[in-house]
Amino acid sequence: MTKLKTVADLEKLHSELAGKKDPRRRAIAVCAVPGCGAYGSEKVPPALREELKKRGLEDKVEVLATGCQGFCEKGPIMVIRPEDILYISVKPEDAAEIIDETIIHGRVVERLLYKDPATGQKVVHENEIPFYKYQTRNIFGPNARIDPNSIEDYIAIGGYSALAKALTKMTPEQVIDEVKRSGLRGRGGAGFSCGQKWQFARQAVSPDGVKYVIVNGDEGDPGAYMDRSLLEGNPHSVIEGLMIGAYAIGACEGYLYVRTEYPLAIKRLHIALAQAEEYGLLGTNILGTGFNFTVRIFRGAGAFVCGEETALLASLESRVGEPRGKPPFPAQSGLWGKPTNINNVKTWANIAPIIQNGAEWFNSIGTKTSKGTMIFSLVGKINNSGLVEVPMGITLRKMIYDIGGGIPKGKRFKAVQMGGPSGGCVPESLLDLPIDYDQLTAAGAMMGSGGMIVMDETTCMVDIAKYFLNFLKDESCGKCTPCRVGVTQMHAILADICEGRGTMEDLDTLTELADVVKNASLCLLGGTAPNPVLTTMRYFKDEYVAHIRDKKCPAHVCKKLITYKVDAEKCTGCGACLKACPSQAVSGEKKRSHAIDPAKCIRCGACHDACKFNAVEML
Amino acid sequence: MTTVKFTINGQPVEGEKGETVLDVALKYNIDLPTLCYHKALLPYGACRLCVVELVAGGRGRLVAACTHPAEEGLSVLTDSETVKRNRKVVMELIMTQCAGSPEILEMAKKLGVDRTRFRSFKTDPEDRCILCGLCVRMCAERMGQSAIGFSDRGYKRKVKPPFDTQSEVCQTCGACSFVCPTKTIKLEQFTKNKTKPILSEFDMGLRSRPAVYISYPQAVPNKPVIDKKNCVRLLKGDCGVCKEVCKAGAIDYDQKEITEELDVGSIILSPGFETFAPQLREEYGFGIFPNVVTSLQFERMLSSSGPFKGEVKRPSDGKHPKRIAWLQCVGSRDEPSGRSYCSAVCCTYATKEAIIAKEHAPGTDAHIFFIDMRTYGKGFEEYRTRAEKEYGVVYHRCRVPNIEEDPKTQDLIMNYRDETGSTKRERFDLVVLSVGMQTPDDLKALAKKLGVDLNEFGFAATPALEPMTTSREGIFVAGALQSPKDIPDTVSQGLGAAAKATEGISSERGTLAAVESFPPEKDVNAEEPRIGVFVCHCGTNIAGVVDVKEVARYIRTRHDLGVVFADTGLYTCSADHLKHMKEIIDERQLNRVVVASCTPRTHEPLFQNTLKESGINQHLFELASVREHVSWVHRSDPKKATEKAKHMVLMAVEKVRRAEAVHKEPAKVTHSALIIGGGLAGLTVAAELSSQGFETHLVEQEAELGGNVRNIFHLLSGEDPQKYLKNLISKVMSDPKVQVHLTARVRDVEGFIGNFRARIENKRGELQEVAVGAIVVATGAKELVPTGYFGFGTDPRIITQLQLDRVLHEGNLDAKTVVMIQCVGSREDTGRTYCSRVCCSEAVKNAIEVKKKRPDANVFVLYRDLRTYGLNEQHYKRARELGVQFIRYENEDKPVASVVDGRLRVEVNDHNLATRFILRPDLLVLSAATIPSGTNLELAQILKVPQTEHGFFMEAHAKIAPLSFTAEGIYMCGTAHSPRFMDETITQALGAAQKAVEVLSKETVSLEGIPVYIDADRCTGCGYCEAVCPTKAIKINAHTGKAEVTEVLCKGCGACAAACPSGVPSPRGFTKDQIFTMVDAALEEL
Repeated sequence: MTKLKTVADLEKLHSELAGKKDPRRRAIAVCAVPGCGAYGSEKVPPALREELKKRGLEDKVEVLATGCQGFCEKGPIMVIRPEDILYISVKPEDAAEIIDETIIHGRVVERLLYKDPATGQKVVHENEIPFYKYQTRNIFGPNARIDPNSIEDYIAIGGYSALAKALTKMTPEQVIDEVKRSGLRGRGGAGFSCGQKWQFARQAVSPDGVKYVIVNGDEGDPGAYMDRSLLEGNPHSVIEGLMIGAYAIGACEGYLYVRTEYPLAIKRLHIALAQAEEYGLLGTNILGTGFNFTVRIFRGAGAFVCGEETALLASLESRVGEPRGKPPFPAQSGLWGKPTNINNVKTWANIAPIIQNGAEWFNSIGTKTSKGTMIFSLVGKINNSGLVEVPMGITLRKMIYDIGGGIPKGKRFKAVQMGGPSGGCVPESLLDLPIDYDQLTAAGAMMGSGGMIVMDETTCMVDIAKYFLNFLKDESCGKCTPCRVGVTQMHAILADICEGRGTMEDLDTLTELADVVKNASLCLLGGTAPNPVLTTMRYFKDEYVAHIRDKKCPAHVCKKLITYKVDAEKCTGCGACLKACPSQAVSGEKKRSHAIDPAKCIRCGACHDACKFNAVEML
Repeated sequence: MTTVKFTINGQPVEGEKGETVLDVALKYNIDLPTLCYHKALLPYGACRLCVVELVAGGRGRLVAACTHPAEEGLSVLTDSETVKRNRKVVMELIMTQCAGSPEILEMAKKLGVDRTRFRSFKTDPEDRCILCGLCVRMCAERMGQSAIGFSDRGYKRKVKPPFDTQSEVCQTCGACSFVCPTKTIKLEQFTKNKTKPILSEFDMGLRSRPAVYISYPQAVPNKPVIDKKNCVRLLKGDCGVCKEVCKAGAIDYDQKEITEELDVGSIILSPGFETFAPQLREEYGFGIFPNVVTSLQFERMLSSSGPFKGEVKRPSDGKHPKRIAWLQCVGSRDEPSGRSYCSAVCCTYATKEAIIAKEHAPGTDAHIFFIDMRTYGKGFEEYRTRAEKEYGVVYHRCRVPNIEEDPKTQDLIMNYRDETGSTKRERFDLVVLSVGMQTPDDLKALAKKLGVDLNEFGFAATPALEPMTTSREGIFVAGALQSPKDIPDTVSQGLGAAAKATEGISSERGTLAAVESFPPEKDVNAEEPRIGVFVCHCGTNIAGVVDVKEVARYIRTRHDLGVVFADTGLYTCSADHLKHMKEIIDERQLNRVVVASCTPRTHEPLFQNTLKESGINQHLFELASVREHVSWVHRSDPKKATEKAKHMVLMAVEKVRRAEAVHKEPAKVTHSALIIGGGLAGLTVAAELSSQGFETHLVEQEAELGGNVRNIFHLLSGEDPQKYLKNLISKVMSDPKVQVHLTARVRDVEGFIGNFRARIENKRGELQEVAVGAIVVATGAKELVPTGYFGFGTDPRIITQLQLDRVLHEGNLDAKTVVMIQCVGSREDTGRTYCSRVCCSEAVKNAIEVKKKRPDANVFVLYRDLRTYGLNEQHYKRARELGVQFIRYENEDKPVASVVDGRLRVEVNDHNLATRFILRPDLLVLSAATIPSGTNLELAQILKVPQTEHGFFMEAHAKIAPLSFTAEGIYMCGTAHSPRFMDETITQALGAAQKAVEVLSKETVSLEGIPVYIDADRCTGCGYCEAVCPTKAIKINAHTGKAEVTEVLCKGCGACAAACPSGVPSPRGFTKDQIFTMVDAALEEL
């Protein structure tokens, strides 16, 4: 490996590597990161290689253990190129058949194909299945085409050429201008203009000239793993973006702040940094342009609040991860008091494509105020859960029904919780809402870092609000009163309502408290914490009222508000419920109708599940 | 520094870059509630109470004022509806955290929150931590320790030392608990190291104090000092918080002691006293049993600024004690501890403490255990009687051998023998040790350095009849350094020492004096009244009863009366607050001031001076006495007391609104004095005034100078009083500055301070008018002729002590057995209820003389309490050593004297031994009372000065003005004041001379009274006013037929105004208009 001393060196290396990577060449890309790994995907590539070796094909066919390809619902995912045949739920045992059938004989293994639940038809090609069809995988796409442990793979697909372009053909101001014009907004949640933020950091004066750029990889929303997937699947894309940003604001040092819970991401970043250093893409006088840059990895200890940038800085400085008031913004006084620019992983990953393809390219995607694509983690009561990259402005309906494949088991859609734990619940009536920053905010939710939790009719909205508030009360850093005490109190009120102790005044108190917590909290954790309460109260007030006034949980979730009753007509007296009941609440003689003693019933639902005649009713 | 301009509540403000919104708001006195903010710590922004609204583009958002930087163009609202609503809810949330901390509830009240709707999830009911982090940050940022920090997050967050163990790095500085707003932090729980609170010296160790402290609230100067033995900054270089918070930038850690050299003509030593260290009397358990305290500690408990804010509480558990015992003579009359003298003051102070304890908490049982009850001072015996009869203080004549403690209750148990000889075991909640006085330890070194001798008891050695003179010329002594003494005697001696110190250097008088100058007076008569009202807490003296804040709040609303400012102050009379008052007068352009505080007698001049310093006429001031007239008398009904205080302040406002500036011409001073009485006191005054360069007229009604001392031939100290007197008389007689008027009487006195005219009548009945600037009353007293007591007058062998003194002097003693009876005509149940002070020592003196003359003589002294107070105790001891027998009798069981078979017979019950004695004396000596001079009444009328019920003269203030009359320019000394010894008389005489010098040394005096104003147009010249004027200040002008006022004579008493049928004379400051509006104000519905 020789150091790349000039841009020409890089271009030369690129053409060499690109040549080897003939797109028409046969390759098998297997997703080998934790999502699919949970189904044993890491054993698939070795099995494939073994089979290829047996057949002497090891040099002819490339086996890629890639990062996440998104369709986690059906993992492990395998794509066979050049045809882009998609196999789902692949197991190591399938290796021989795949090699024999598809690689050698060009035949599709039917049983590994995806079956469209709508049509019942099997689909062969990746871009034909609805999950992928409606996506625009600008940022995520390359995950499937590279080995994340190989910088050469990245360079082969044009990696680091955006950096080279910025360093040699653009002034820092031009880079900032390009990013500004692209309309890229921060993908971490708040959606602030990225270029604007860079400009502040560039303009900020540092007495000793030191400035920092930081990758915020403290992805803490439950169920969200977009950042992890990018770091695991394409670490260089993030590093390259970071370097362009450093050049733009005048920083020579960067930090990758990644939570310790992401060991694979950290491992891959270490490898990526070492490789970039070996090529001279990190260090001094990069590509002979005089630009110097070094990056360190900092492992965060996993506090949700450390995703807030001032808390992240405190953590980076080895202090307790607590936010502080802004201003001063990190752009003025950040890490160790120096001007600092912090962006989310996804934001950084967008930079190289913008520089490479130009602001106009990026600008052409999305809505008036929200440009580009956004990566969502589509989870919950949905058929096709996984990571989804779509252009801004796509409607929720499209997301849920076309890409997501709708609600399982024919249940009715109720709401989608957007933007992480402190996001909001968007109801069915807003299904045609185009997803962008401003529309979501108007609806009481937020973009957040892209969490989408789909809920069906069996979800109790009061319970769900309580659930998120519970998470937030545990994750509040505890520094400021409204967040520490206010969220705890809101949670307590919700718990009261769920357990039948609520009063109608509680709703007013909740509203007032939510308003204060939102307005008076120190940081956005508290500032957004009331969102689950506010949106569920806004869109599902009737459920609250049912809990309070009727002492009923319409979704039959809140145990204290459920009554189990045996329908004497339907009951055959089989005794299944009696046997299932752990608290001896069911009584009745054989072949006679049974009854449930509500005083003894612990509302576990075992009788209901045990009854084959639907005789146990939930009221 | 870059200036940034923005607005707060629409008001343009300026701050500096780097400041926060809160910094700027504070500078502009915009009040913002804060909890986690501390000036010496970095902004934190956690409590969110200081949220303010930033308005931009028509939309507001909330930020914490303590962290948000002051930026150009901000528009800040500190009190908008949004702010208020959010703040209230935040406060409600905080209230769930602090378990009803009174400090937080007080803040909450201010924000209009009286309860929280939310519940507490705290498991420890004692946990009042609101997680403001002040402690954590103080420890880390200022002390460099980080001995505590936060653990966990969210609602589980707690303040703990690392690893939740006791911290080893904690330096026990206590900054964490000091800064804690809810007083939650208990240092002992956090630290592995031993905590050592700095005990407040002033509060006698009953509470702790910080390392920067003001010794006591009224200290002069009222400035804090840094205790370098405990200051973390001076010891270790950390902290420095005081410097940060000091707005005046007054903290200087590098300050060094400086030595100043002064050239002085005389030196007065008055270092005061220390109390006996009661640990030395181990049997009383002081320092081991928490509920055994000293009398000075108890004094602090009684004080409203004391450790328990005026409540009497047991140190062990803070409970109010129900039974309190005082043990007398701890470290006094105490041979084993080397203190055989009597401390002179303890009997009276214990009585006082017992009375006040009962006043504080009616129903308290107060018991005083004593040997002899020595309440010998003026009015003290009557005071003690009241304590017993009216207050129910129980007196036990016995010395308690020891104190035990009940370890469970920490109650104290005393075993003692009562007067009947039976053993008692009693339980008390609190025991007060009446500790004696001693000279400060470090005084010995100082005395040595100064070349001043101390006597065997450690007090300054002074010649018997020169009690201020030390062994070194030019160095004088005053107060308890000379001998144990109480306040009035100390004040007298202080004045006396001042006289002695001035005497040798009087030619230099005034050469170093600086003239007090005031700014030119503003003419505010034409202005609309702008009244400022200052309501004083007086510690808790007023605020403990009256809701002073409410009074200020109410009067602040009376803009209709011209009130433009009203606020409260902890001690309005403190130097600090007076400065603040001046600032407010300037800032608010006040032209009239009302202070609602204690007493105008001592404090009105102080506040008037402050007005003068601000260029406001002193008569545009009014004092509402809400302590004397409200809090002290309506202690039991705070609500009504507050209402009354409002009315009183309202009345004062109405009055001052109508007040006018008054200007008075000062009067010239005649530089000579009149001394009435040519005894020891008068002679001493004359000699002293002469040596200070002033002429005097000495008027003696008898043909000879010397008074009573002519009958005294022995002194306990051994000096010859006759020799002393002879010297003094000859000195005075030969002094050209003293005009002696013998066989003369003062017939008439007119005028006022600095300008008296007295007419002296000589033996031929001729009247001589003399002009004097001051008058000293030294009419003396005499021994009662005890006719009717114990057969006096019926048998030549029954004589008085003075007669015995003469017998001994003349060598005619022909008696082997001498019986003396004390309290003859003194301490009676009715009539002469007072103690004659000197008789016990006189008896001891004569007993010793008898024993000296006839060692085989049997001398019996029959007494009630033997009152050889102070250092005279040594002579009592000597008498006993010489074999004098002391037999105690009870007032109800007096000795009976008779003549049986031609021999004297005295029958007495000895109450100490419970034995009946029959004595056959050859001489029965009666210690007869000292009674005032018979001419006192006439003189009192001439001088218009008051007398006591017993015919002595009544001083202006028993404690702080013992030698003055309420009438200015007239003073008293010697036995005219009350019975006393020669040395005490000399002390008072010198003191009274010094009071006279104060007047005589001035060129002019300004007069107290405000002259009446005569509306000449309406005067009919009827002359009623002239007839009633007590100072002859008002006269009908023969030419105009109208009344005219001689302003210097007018005292402003208002008699003329009352007498005038047409209401012409108007006493300024008490005009009809003022009085009527005050009456209206008093009756106004509030």
